[in-house]
Amino acid sequence: MPKYLLKRIAQAIGVVLVISMITFFILNIVPGNPVQLMLGDFATQETIDRVTHEMGLDKPVVLQYLHWLGNMLKGDFGTSYFQRQPVLLLLGKAFTVTAKLALSSYVLALVIGVGFGIIAAVFHNRFLDKLLMVFSIAGISAPNFWIAIILQIIFGLKLHWFPISGVRTFAAYILPTIALGTRYAASISRITRTSMLEVVKQDYIRTAKAKGLSRLQVTMGHAFRNALIPIVTVAGADLSNIFTGSMLIESVFSIPGIGKLFLDCIGNRDLPLVEGGVMYIAVICVIVYLLVDMLYTVIDPRIRLGGENE
Amino acid sequence: MKMKKALIVFLLLALMGAPVFANGKAEVKTAEPTRKVLRFGQTNPKLAMDEQTNSNSGVATLADLVTEGLFKWNEDNKEELVLAADWPQISADGLTYTFKLKQGIVFSDGSPLTSKDVKFTFERMFTPSTKAVNTYMYDMISGAKEMLSGNATELSGLKIIDDTSFSITLTYPFSGFVKNLGISYAEIFPAKACSEAGANWGHGTTLVGTGPYMIKENDEQTRVVFEKNPNFRGKANLDEIDIIFIDDVSTKLLEYEAGNIDLCQLDNAMYQQYKNSDIASDIVQYTPLGTVFINLNLNDPALKDIRVRQALSLAIDRKTYCEDFLDGTGVPATGFLNPSELGYMQRDQYEYNPKKAKQLLSEAGAANLHLVAHVRSKDKNEFVYIQNCFAQIGVTMDVQVVDNGVWYSEWQAGSIQIMWMGWFPLYADADNHMYTYFFSQNASKKSNFYNNAKFDELVTEARQMTDDSQRAKLYQQADTMLTQEDYGCIPLYYPRYQFVAKPYVKNMKVGNLIYHLNDVDIDTSLQKTR
Repeated sequence: MPKYLLKRIAQAIGVVLVISMITFFILNIVPGNPVQLMLGDFATQETIDRVTHEMGLDKPVVLQYLHWLGNMLKGDFGTSYFQRQPVLLLLGKAFTVTAKLALSSYVLALVIGVGFGIIAAVFHNRFLDKLLMVFSIAGISAPNFWIAIILQIIFGLKLHWFPISGVRTFAAYILPTIALGTRYAASISRITRTSMLEVVKQDYIRTAKAKGLSRLQVTMGHAFRNALIPIVTVAGADLSNIFTGSMLIESVFSIPGIGKLFLDCIGNRDLPLVEGGVMYIAVICVIVYLLVDMLYTVIDPRIRLGGENE
Repeated sequence: MKMKKALIVFLLLALMGAPVFANGKAEVKTAEPTRKVLRFGQTNPKLAMDEQTNSNSGVATLADLVTEGLFKWNEDNKEELVLAADWPQISADGLTYTFKLKQGIVFSDGSPLTSKDVKFTFERMFTPSTKAVNTYMYDMISGAKEMLSGNATELSGLKIIDDTSFSITLTYPFSGFVKNLGISYAEIFPAKACSEAGANWGHGTTLVGTGPYMIKENDEQTRVVFEKNPNFRGKANLDEIDIIFIDDVSTKLLEYEAGNIDLCQLDNAMYQQYKNSDIASDIVQYTPLGTVFINLNLNDPALKDIRVRQALSLAIDRKTYCEDFLDGTGVPATGFLNPSELGYMQRDQYEYNPKKAKQLLSEAGAANLHLVAHVRSKDKNEFVYIQNCFAQIGVTMDVQVVDNGVWYSEWQAGSIQIMWMGWFPLYADADNHMYTYFFSQNASKKSNFYNNAKFDELVTEARQMTDDSQRAKLYQQADTMLTQEDYGCIPLYYPRYQFVAKPYVKNMKVGNLIYHLNDVDIDTSLQKTR
């Protein structure tokens, strides 16, 4: 296991570096002068040239990248061209907000998704199953920004139950959490139901029932545990998506998170911040998939990572 | 049965859980009726409140509550004295300006305003490490370019006479200099506080000024709270101003409808939706100083012939465009200069005559003209309308939407054939509006390439004169030349914008693009009834 972990971490670092390089060079090839965007319409060419020089953007791209890479390895991700604050500081502040939203949405998605999935499987082909699956299809089909707006109008504007936007109170997270978590809850519920239906046909479930175990014990102790592998795979992917794909929800609810930060900096060609954002996404994905792989061994001891027992 | 019960409990919890945890109240606090608190919803500029390092109008809304300049442009688009005791005395050669500061002005931190602060402010602006972005407005001051290039550390053109008097010498006569001093980029910073804050100046609560308000709280992410500056020489109307950052235009309006904010901009895209709504009576329209026009690339062979450009102009029914398509958020343009600007001239409406347009195209041998427009997504709908107008005279136009960054590069590189453009001066003067776009050297950087020696001569002469009535005549001639004779661009309309304000919000007025809240008041008797 430790050998496997080290190998995966080394691979992850390689992946992150390659991603950083590709991003850096692509952003330099794409038309769009960040200095011009920063200075606005009235700036003279003289001013643009001067600021370009001051920011070191007149140097060859390779040198710019190496300079950035050297600093990044020392923990300095540079300074945002526009906000003029350290990228790490901006990412840190935004991450604090995104983490709260993502984790709450994820917990909601897991609880609702797994719960609805199990219920649907238990009541297979009955009214409750069909009802929950209708909700599930609706949850997957409805764009999350649309859900967000509907929630804002009903629970914010009409009922005044929750804040319409912002993040200054606990209550402010509730509508964005529902808006962001709904889609993931729907997808988890579908995979849970499917996986459970596969498992309940197995002989060992019949054996468990024959031994006189209660329905709850059979469902949770035997069926659910054996249905977990596909659920963990989907839920793992959802975790990285939820951490990196909250742009629209953050935008609609005016949440100053990573997604919003990233969205703004792409349009501005704020290269250090875009690079920082890409690194964030890459690191999150690498960590989540590593955790998912490790979780497999916990769920099913027959699985051994890195072929240690082969 | 046990299983069913457990499931029912789970379902109930899942469905009812959220409201249980909610506090049932909106996040934005409700203003106490006895205190005058204005809650303004605006987009977060995400920039330091340092107007030397950015040119963002959202920053100006915040920073202008705290910092002040020698002069300012008021909401009637007239320049007035602020920290300067009087208008400067100008030497006979038009190069040296002598200023006198008002006596007894104190910054919010208690330090007195002196000429040293003025010198510090301008020297900071020209110091390369500041990375100031608006130096082009003031680099005609002697010694500015030497500082910018790192060859000097002191601004030789600014001399301190005494604590409240100083002079500024320019490298060439420039009539717009005092006007340039009236915009936010030249607001005066206290030397001590600004030096101490260093690179952090404008972040958090570091900004210190002579204005009516000071920053009480600033998390830079969700809101900034301003309170009265106890050292302000006059009277601030409000006890508190809460600037609440809401970027999404639709969400902003929902917050307004819910009563969580008192004032916000109403984007033109949302105007149609709200003009007949419950808040219709709260809508206030204003006309900023800009002009919207079709920018033509005069270097493009297809657009070189004046008859072709005139034909394109004749194809557009501006009245219908403004009334029906823009829904009243534009007034048909009759030239380039805006009615509020020096040099504006009352003219007849542009003719709409598709038949004549076709004839001109035929004469010019451009009956099958095909154009390619590059526009940003926000401008697409308007240009699709123009596309239809051109189709009526047999001109086909491919409207391609490009990313903002790409568009800027193409615009600067002169590679866009035809595009939508809204050009807004920083203050009401033709120099800042027309010279900046159509003077030959500037036009070449804006995919326009208008190059008329006579026009250049007129606008150059006008920017060196101090007599505004004479300048106005020159600008009138220049505008006629540009838009009626050469068709160097096709003016479409003077835009109108709007904000929504609760009935108890008083004195809110927008002269150009910046929301200045300094004079806003709240009628608490009306507020109680809301």
